[in-house]
Amino acid sequence: MILLENLTKYYPSTAGKQFVFENINFTFPRGKNIAILGSNGAGKSTLFRIIAGSEYPNKGQVRTELSVSWPVALATGVHPLMTGRENTRFIGRVNGVANLDDYEKKVIEFSELGKKFDLPVRTYSSGMRSRLSFACCISIDFDVYLIDEATSVGDLQFRQKAKTALLNKKNIANIIMVSHDLSELELFCDSAVILHEGQLEFYDNLKHAIDIYKGL
Amino acid sequence: MAKVLQRHLRQIWLDVIYAIFLRELKSKSSDKFGIAWSVVSPVVFIFMLSYLRGRMDGGDTHGIPTFFFMVYGMILVQFFMGLVASVSAAIKKNKPLYAFRQVQPISSILAITLFECLVKIFVILVIGVMCFILQFDIHISDPLSLLFNLLRVAIFSMSIGIIFSLLTCFVPEVDKVKDLLMRPMFFISGVFFSLQDVPQEYWPYLTWNPVLHAIELTRYAVYPQYGNAGVSDLYLNVFTLTSLGLALACYHISWKQAISR
Repeated sequence: MILLENLTKYYPSTAGKQFVFENINFTFPRGKNIAILGSNGAGKSTLFRIIAGSEYPNKGQVRTELSVSWPVALATGVHPLMTGRENTRFIGRVNGVANLDDYEKKVIEFSELGKKFDLPVRTYSSGMRSRLSFACCISIDFDVYLIDEATSVGDLQFRQKAKTALLNKKNIANIIMVSHDLSELELFCDSAVILHEGQLEFYDNLKHAIDIYKGL
Repeated sequence: MAKVLQRHLRQIWLDVIYAIFLRELKSKSSDKFGIAWSVVSPVVFIFMLSYLRGRMDGGDTHGIPTFFFMVYGMILVQFFMGLVASVSAAIKKNKPLYAFRQVQPISSILAITLFECLVKIFVILVIGVMCFILQFDIHISDPLSLLFNLLRVAIFSMSIGIIFSLLTCFVPEVDKVKDLLMRPMFFISGVFFSLQDVPQEYWPYLTWNPVLHAIELTRYAVYPQYGNAGVSDLYLNVFTLTSLGLALACYHISWKQAISR
């Protein structure tokens, strides 16, 4: 269960405060794989980052007893001058992984970087970078994974692998996902939250939610 | 899959600071000179300038060998300027890392302060060893005061750095103003002169500067005959505590806004 309590978030701008949310109270139910639906600029990513604790609300708080991943999207927290291995250990340390060596092995296996794992990330292609950060996230046991169109990383083969890994995760953990690819959402999620004009609405049935979302 | 430890809050802080510290170390040692350059470059600068100046006037400055007169001044002013410069970049530098909920800007500030302090400690040790090898007569009559002065400089430099660091998140132009403000510090902090050389009516224009107090008090601590005219231990204490309090207060009220821009 993830609770949003009196959540207010705005960005200051020259035209005054741009409110994304104002005094929102909302509960993400437990045990659901949730898709977040909303048009461009509705605040999906902001909501996402607030749940992850990457960004902080101006008022209110997010409460949860679950371990939530960081938003897996881009090469988050990957330092270009450090090697893949050093970056992996950094992420492991920050997240409090119990056995770093073991974690390292899992990441190298999943990311399929091979020898490149010991070269600076600067020398990686963008696909390899996202493979590294996806592998870093999926190799840690979280209760909730926050996925931001992450199955679109890497080449076709890796995409398939990422998909399978996420589908396996579905049995032991939950996924909250942002994507514009509806077929992808249908694959991973069973329920949805529609974000419209600063309000959140939970729908138990994804299909139903998508119909409403299309009608908005 | 990798298990995650249930960590105590303090343990998370230590882990995160350690991880950022290692990262800092790694990113500094990317070229062939590596981490050694952070130590070698200030040592050469301090040593050469002090040595030349010491040779030029050959003798004493108010009862201190001129070489040591210069060395203490240079070490402290470099410590101050280095720490302010790196801490004031600390929040922005690690911005991508705040995606991890465990990492807060203060961890980045503390890790960078720790790194900078360690580098300076090595600088001091290397200069000490060089003096020993060259058979300069090292004389420290009050080592505790010397260490205490270093600590106070570290604290108020970090505090000033934190304030600048927060300000630059809101107003990026502050960075340029900071450079302008920091440049004269090298010349008005009493590195090249003693406050005793300055006519007393000009003292008020110089004694607001805590670095001047730190430098003169350090010279006094190592050579008591140098005297402590015009500087005050109390002022340095008050300045250190006030700046630390102000910096932490500013941090507390504004860090969330500072990083969500």
